[in-house]
Amino acid sequence: MSQTAGRSQDVEQPEVVPGAPEVKKTERPHPLTPFIRSWIVFVAILIALVREVLNDVGRQGLDPAHLGLATLTSGVAAIAGAAVLIAGIAGFVSWYFTRFVIDEEELRVETGVIFKTSKKMSFERLQSVDIIQPLAARIFGLAELRLEAGATDASIKLRYLRRDRAARLREYLLARAHGQVARVDDAYLPASALTDLTAADRPLVRVTPQRLVGGFLLSTEWLVPACIAVVILITTAALGVVAFAVGGLLPLLVGLASLVSRRLIGMFNFTVTESIRGGAGGSSPPESTQSRGLRITRGLTNLVSQSVPVSRIQGVRICQPLLWRPLGWYRVDVDIVGYSRTSSENNESHATSVLLPVADESEVELAVGRVLPEFDLDGIELHRVPARARWLRWYDFWTLRYGWNEHAIMTEHGWLNHTRDVVPHAKTQSVRIVQGPLQRALRLAGVHIDTAKGPVNAVARHLDTRAARELAMTQLDRARAARIADRSRLAAFQANVGGLPGADTAGGSEGVVPPGADAAGGSGGVVPPGADTARLLADFGTDRDRLLGGGGESEVFAIDDVRVLRLYRRPHSDTDQTVNQLRSLYDGWAGVDIGLELPRILEVDRRDGRLFTIDWRFSGLGLSNWLRNADAAERRTALTSFLDATERLRKLPSPMAGFARLVGQEAPRQFGSFGELMHNMLAGPTRESRVRLEHDLPNVAQIWDRLHADLAERQVSPALVHGDACPSNAYVSLLPGGPTITGVGDFSPHTVNGDPVMDVAGAVIFLELEPYVDAAADSAWLCGLATERWGADISHWIAVYRRFYGFYFSNAYDFDPGLYAWCLRQLTSENPPGISRR
Amino acid sequence: MDELFAPPAYEWQRISPAYRSLRRLTTLVFPPLLFSVPAVAVGVLTGLWWISAVLWGIAAVVMIIRLVLINRSWRSWGYVEREDDLYITHGVLFRSLVAVPYGRMQLVEVESGPLERAFGLATVSLKTASPETGATIPGLPPAEAARLRDRLTALGEAQASGL
Repeated sequence: MSQTAGRSQDVEQPEVVPGAPEVKKTERPHPLTPFIRSWIVFVAILIALVREVLNDVGRQGLDPAHLGLATLTSGVAAIAGAAVLIAGIAGFVSWYFTRFVIDEEELRVETGVIFKTSKKMSFERLQSVDIIQPLAARIFGLAELRLEAGATDASIKLRYLRRDRAARLREYLLARAHGQVARVDDAYLPASALTDLTAADRPLVRVTPQRLVGGFLLSTEWLVPACIAVVILITTAALGVVAFAVGGLLPLLVGLASLVSRRLIGMFNFTVTESIRGGAGGSSPPESTQSRGLRITRGLTNLVSQSVPVSRIQGVRICQPLLWRPLGWYRVDVDIVGYSRTSSENNESHATSVLLPVADESEVELAVGRVLPEFDLDGIELHRVPARARWLRWYDFWTLRYGWNEHAIMTEHGWLNHTRDVVPHAKTQSVRIVQGPLQRALRLAGVHIDTAKGPVNAVARHLDTRAARELAMTQLDRARAARIADRSRLAAFQANVGGLPGADTAGGSEGVVPPGADAAGGSGGVVPPGADTARLLADFGTDRDRLLGGGGESEVFAIDDVRVLRLYRRPHSDTDQTVNQLRSLYDGWAGVDIGLELPRILEVDRRDGRLFTIDWRFSGLGLSNWLRNADAAERRTALTSFLDATERLRKLPSPMAGFARLVGQEAPRQFGSFGELMHNMLAGPTRESRVRLEHDLPNVAQIWDRLHADLAERQVSPALVHGDACPSNAYVSLLPGGPTITGVGDFSPHTVNGDPVMDVAGAVIFLELEPYVDAAADSAWLCGLATERWGADISHWIAVYRRFYGFYFSNAYDFDPGLYAWCLRQLTSENPPGISRR
Repeated sequence: MDELFAPPAYEWQRISPAYRSLRRLTTLVFPPLLFSVPAVAVGVLTGLWWISAVLWGIAAVVMIIRLVLINRSWRSWGYVEREDDLYITHGVLFRSLVAVPYGRMQLVEVESGPLERAFGLATVSLKTASPETGATIPGLPPAEAARLRDRLTALGEAQASGL
């Protein structure tokens, strides 16, 4: 196992020889792909040409001499032919070099002729799986499979696959995306070629062609340009000068035609379905069925089937053109984060933000109820704006309204096209108050509730200034409350997932508790404070109110002044092992004086199946909590002492010689060199985060190589290393000489025989993660202090360990995005701020 | 500044006075430049120098209006870091107050063009998922801009929430 030669493959499988060939079978899209793609280019050119010629006719009038049709056609035919040929060749090359694998293990697509790119997506991160069938592809029974992950990622497009193959893959990917167990070859229900619906799809709302056409003809956006066109035609005809009007009319007609294509042809057969699938292709009993979210299928010529990721919906707009009112019809649009990225909004072949093109009230209620459950929009009390707004909005001041309830804010405006915008509080991005000079004269102001890009635009217009101010301020409070509620829901959900046996991390990363998680305290407890926990606590003469703190693994309760009860959350066999290893480690330190209180386990036992220990209680206060309320001078005294304390930890005797892991599943284990130990520590976390890291940091392999090259240069004799020297594991006492660190606790699987500088570096690095305001500045200052003490060399090693911890905690991506973002920053930092500021 | 745009329970942090000098310079340089090109072109090509005179007149008016407003525009900028959000206000004729929760910030950028650098200034802009947020603070001393960026990033991470 060599560290210097560490290629990115090593992250996953250190045993494999770098550059070993992949044996996995990859496949290409359907061989007809290049033909269809060149055909689509041909059609696009044709349409563009027709538009151009029509516009030309508009400008020049209908004089055939002007057109020079013969020369035009031959020249254009040559250009178009060349373009189609080039598109065909390009299509062939890109088809030839596109390969993909979708199996039980991975989803990977490889493209590129000169610059090969290999995109790998984790199944869990898939947000939507769309099938798009342009007319040309449809004729040959082919379809494009489009996969979207995060909001910032480009989508993966697989063009083109056989329709049944695409449907089967969609089936499989959706099942995997929802965390179900599935296999690619599972039986599936064939989807109809006409509507792309399977027998298991339950249509929630289906828009009939009659209603679609009727709604379209009565819609404001169709009627207004259509009426203008008719009026122009009639007046010019009456005056006998139709030829002059052609110039103005043609663009109008082209616009109308594109409207027809978008709103009618693109929306034809619009169906919102709830996809519900059982374990094996829908044939299993109903109790095993699971919803896979909403799906929209639509289109007459191009058939599009797209999933609606409900959790990514940022807002809803319900509008009603004037003439729809007697019919009780509405149109519903949604903001979906990441979707509006496609510039051609509502294009037939792209994802759309339309949730319902035309629907009656009950259907709107049904669909909106699915995307904003329990929002009770009718229950929102709406406020009107002052009558003086009529001076600015003489045409619709009576329609301006705004209101909110505990879930969402709603604004209303317009009568020609009555529009309601709804934004859930949790999705509020920012709040703006805006006032123009006329508004100032009238004491009015507007409040904008900003949301992600899309059709929804919630603006409370022309409020009384006082009401505007109040609305903005209270909206910020509501948004904050909703965000916190969202976060705790997420934490509870993740805690539940974490509580499942087997859902735990594997290998050396077992028991990795990110420093940030400790600061969270007992808020997202894995084990709910149930009756038996309460009884257990009562048996030891303590209760929930005496909770001192807790991390991912355990909670600590005060028993009396000298003892605490540490209650482990999960009944894990290797937790027993860890606890016993820690106990003997601590026992070996009895009588060792390094000027710090050290942890001591008095008793290990289990009751009601729960593992607990009784430990010595540290005399000081938790440093992390104390830092939050301390003033700057006190903090720096304490942090100086903290740095000294981490430096003294190396004096602790270790039960083993050489470089070794001391605690955890893999311990005790000795390593031949420092490099091997470091590699072993990183192997577990990076095995999980590799795909994600490769995705987020294209040059991760270089960073990995550089880290190993740096570590290989480290000449050091082994000493005990805490491994997680963060403030939440240190205890501070307020002595007469100022706040001093008097204890260090919570040794863990991070504890190793390694480079003693690691704890000094950890003290500097982890301080940044503390939630108090000046944490980053303090960390930089502490780095400076370390440099003063131990010379400039230390800042180099702090920078190296920054990258080490960046990898070490990188598996935080699925439970702590903030920590993961921090990791990415550590990995990309060339000159960490702590050093450059010195 | 009236109650509508007052900061909640805090005082506005003001931007650097050097921002005024920067604005004065750009006002003195760019409108004359912008109008002179067509003015000279028209004059040389057609000989109708009175059109050029009108253009220069317009340039002068634009310059004077802007020069008069610079001081007020500078004074209108302000920002406040609160516990959970950042407030920014600006605008003389069209006033605005934007409040961005730290948890919503996706990106904090510090920019400093060559002119800004010459005046010792930098611009901090915050990006959220919404393109309309438009939260930008110009005319900050580089040290303050860096401090603000570091603080906002730290707070943004501490309070980050999914979309």
